[in-house]
Amino acid sequence: MSSDLSQNLKIYRLSMEEYEKMKTLLGHEPNVIEWCLFSALWSEHCSYKSSKNHLRKFSFRNSNTPDMDGENAGVVDLGYGEKIAFKMESHNHPSFIEPVQGAATGVGGILRDIFTMGARPIMSANYLCFGDIEAPRMKHLMKGVVKGISSYGNCVGVPTVTGQTNFHPLYNKNILVNALSVGYFGPEQRMALSNASGSGNLVVYVGAKTGRDGVHGASMASASFDDDSESKKPNVQIGDPFYEKLLIEACLEVLEKNLVVAMQDMGAAGLTSSSFEMSSKGQVGFILDLKKVPLRDSSMTPEDILLSESQERMLLICKPEKLSELQETFKKWSLDSAVLGEVQSDRKVKLMWGEEVLTNIDPDLIVEEAPRYDRPYQPWNSLQKTQALQAPEKINFQSLIEKAFKTSKLNRFQWIYNQYDQRVGARTATACESAVAHARLDHSGRGLALAVGCRTDLMVMDAQIGAFDAVYYPAFQMALKGSVALSITDCLNFGNPQKPEIMSQFVASVEAIASASVQLNAPVISGNVSFYNETLDENIPPTPAIGMVGMRDSVEDILPDYFQAPMEYIVRVKMDWLQSYTWLNSLEQKVSQFTENTHADIAGFIKQCQALDQKRQAELIPITSIKAIGLGGLAVTCLKMVQGNVGFDLSFDTSLIPESELFRDELYSFIVTTTDLDLTISFLKKHFKNFPVDIRKVGETVTEKIHISKKIILDFKTTKSQFEKGL
Amino acid sequence: MSLNVGIPRFLGTNCDEDVKRWIESKGFRATYLWYEDRFESKDFDWIVIPGGFSHGDYLRCGALAARTPVMKSVQEFASKGKPILGICNGFQILCEAQLLPGVLLQNKNLRFIDQWQTLTVQNADNPFSKMMTTQQHIRLPIAHGDGQYYADSETLQKINNNGQIWLTYDENPNGSALNIAGVTNEKKNVCALMPHPERAQFEWMGSSDGELFL
Repeated sequence: MSSDLSQNLKIYRLSMEEYEKMKTLLGHEPNVIEWCLFSALWSEHCSYKSSKNHLRKFSFRNSNTPDMDGENAGVVDLGYGEKIAFKMESHNHPSFIEPVQGAATGVGGILRDIFTMGARPIMSANYLCFGDIEAPRMKHLMKGVVKGISSYGNCVGVPTVTGQTNFHPLYNKNILVNALSVGYFGPEQRMALSNASGSGNLVVYVGAKTGRDGVHGASMASASFDDDSESKKPNVQIGDPFYEKLLIEACLEVLEKNLVVAMQDMGAAGLTSSSFEMSSKGQVGFILDLKKVPLRDSSMTPEDILLSESQERMLLICKPEKLSELQETFKKWSLDSAVLGEVQSDRKVKLMWGEEVLTNIDPDLIVEEAPRYDRPYQPWNSLQKTQALQAPEKINFQSLIEKAFKTSKLNRFQWIYNQYDQRVGARTATACESAVAHARLDHSGRGLALAVGCRTDLMVMDAQIGAFDAVYYPAFQMALKGSVALSITDCLNFGNPQKPEIMSQFVASVEAIASASVQLNAPVISGNVSFYNETLDENIPPTPAIGMVGMRDSVEDILPDYFQAPMEYIVRVKMDWLQSYTWLNSLEQKVSQFTENTHADIAGFIKQCQALDQKRQAELIPITSIKAIGLGGLAVTCLKMVQGNVGFDLSFDTSLIPESELFRDELYSFIVTTTDLDLTISFLKKHFKNFPVDIRKVGETVTEKIHISKKIILDFKTTKSQFEKGL
Repeated sequence: MSLNVGIPRFLGTNCDEDVKRWIESKGFRATYLWYEDRFESKDFDWIVIPGGFSHGDYLRCGALAARTPVMKSVQEFASKGKPILGICNGFQILCEAQLLPGVLLQNKNLRFIDQWQTLTVQNADNPFSKMMTTQQHIRLPIAHGDGQYYADSETLQKINNNGQIWLTYDENPNGSALNIAGVTNEKKNVCALMPHPERAQFEWMGSSDGELFL
């Protein structure tokens, strides 16, 4: 192999086999532009080459989910003329290198995926995983990520309404930042597509000027980190939320005025991916002059221009007679626009540099012929499964709780979500303080529910169980608020797919998610895969983050997640699916074992929970709050429900609930509080009569006291302030 | 005849639609006023300046918006004694336009803050507190990065004596002088507050106290 070739393979991150394939497809030795194009579009990030074979397992659709294959986000038809588009995406690698900009541009990128379809973004969410809080740079990373999300999301005027934050030492050198956005289409609102059409139509660049930021970003995001992640800083994009806000308004306005044929944001691999994908999808060709791209730096080369990931840019196709009105609209919003070229019937993308032809290739050669890999994996085998679960021995619960506070395992994360504008848009009914967010839909007045899922500790315990839970748990939380799960987006964060054990986690997770989504009748309609979350051979835990939307008939009378008043009864409804001591063990960094009742009808139980909400309203059952029992069991869940001066006492009947059981994880049990014990218990027993559940009073709410058991008594004020402590 | 309310819209305004829906829910007419255009005072009964990040908050919050053509018309509107309400960034713009005393600095903790606040109505003698009474407590959400009200002690004394302090925080979230959440001008026709009444129209939003403003 010549040294030039080995150098190129390294720079452009392509394998020898991929180089051979590229050469065969082109019919000649690739020139520098072609190296760039193939490098970007055949990166894992753009081509999904290791995952595509398995992502087909998400093919399930129902009557609410029109097939939008190949579009920027999935669409759900909500009825009453309303639709939503939603998607979740990762920005892990950039956020680890530069947390503020990395997280901010993650939010910006996902918003563009939504409004490029013509939907107005109305809700955002995030899913974050950090390492040990004392690990190097970790506090800086956490503060930076939160600042990035808040500065960008708040300025564009999209409320950040929910999120989840996990901690595990396996994220020390590779944090996860996943952003989700939901866009709304009202009745008669036009949906934009990304397939170019119409020979002679113009290809128009709009938005911010192109700079050097993010050049090679897509291929960077497709490689593992070494010691030198600091040196990758110039690959990170810089965002400007003010520009994004203008772009949202301008794009929605040109769509409303019917001035565009197709539209696509310039995301990963910038102009390269947008132009090649638009032409490939539309089965047309483009002729583009890269000299016409508005530049921040006039010394940029064609390669830089093609691979720049400068933010806040879009590529539009418009009819020549609509151009002046289109440009007027962008000018009104103070945005640049430039005609780069036109659509041609010859199915070639011809890239020009003034008079010089840089390349002239069939877009399908790159887009459709991208490599696919069937990476080796093993069928899933749960090693942690036991016949009978043993309680951890000799546990000092008091010191464990202190440790949980210290490691942020017990925290309300107010310091995070108070930095997010949760109510702009004036649609928010419940937001970050609740397990499930709800926004009022403008036209029908119904409540759109949004929740995220995937609990790292369960994933570490067992990738298959954790992935089932990543879907079932947000659906369960929604059900308890009276919302029914409709659809799912995912962000599959995994390590190096070339390692069979990682690929096995991936396949087990995908299959579990696909199966749970069928059970819930909630199709997986969009998503993203982030592989190579690996630094110096250490891989992150498998982390298939889930975003779920659901529906509630109204936004009125959504039960809160917190204790409302003292002297109310705490009732537990205990479901018999899976038991473990994950929360306790994770504090000691031990992997848990679990027992599973494989006959448990989880989806059926979730459905019955959802029916509970309307029924308690109809029958005037005085339930005052409701919450799923999370990891850490009854005790930790009650701690999370403390509010104002209302604490709790679980010490009444130790003969029924032994101390070790207080901290046992019970998936999926829940707590309600009520002012009328007998009425509520008989109501619940009747409602769940076909399910093997245990329903009993487990304690009472009390003023300024936290009594977990007769022995574990926590000081109310100290505990509360620990809980609310921020960074 | 129903009131006609003008809503100035700047580049980066992001509470425009919320405010428009709020005003229309009262049966009033609402009209957007583009920042590059002038308008006639006689065509509108009220002006409501919504929140957001006008002109990207570049230079200082509200500074660029205060120097736009639409604000020249707002100045004229104010000089005629007609009612103007500024919310959040609208408050910052009115201060920058010198239609209101004081300025809004970055929050004391240097972070954006979104949370519910209990406020006390200190003076209820302006067009936007006809349904309020002095010393009444109301609950509204705040969402701002630059909400720390500041004025020199002489100005604070003066606005206090004139009854220009409209609303105060019961628990000060951002370091505002005298816990100020909202002020008026001397004539009481220009009024502004940092909290968002349009985000508290119904109980399902968390409070319906915003309904007391219109």
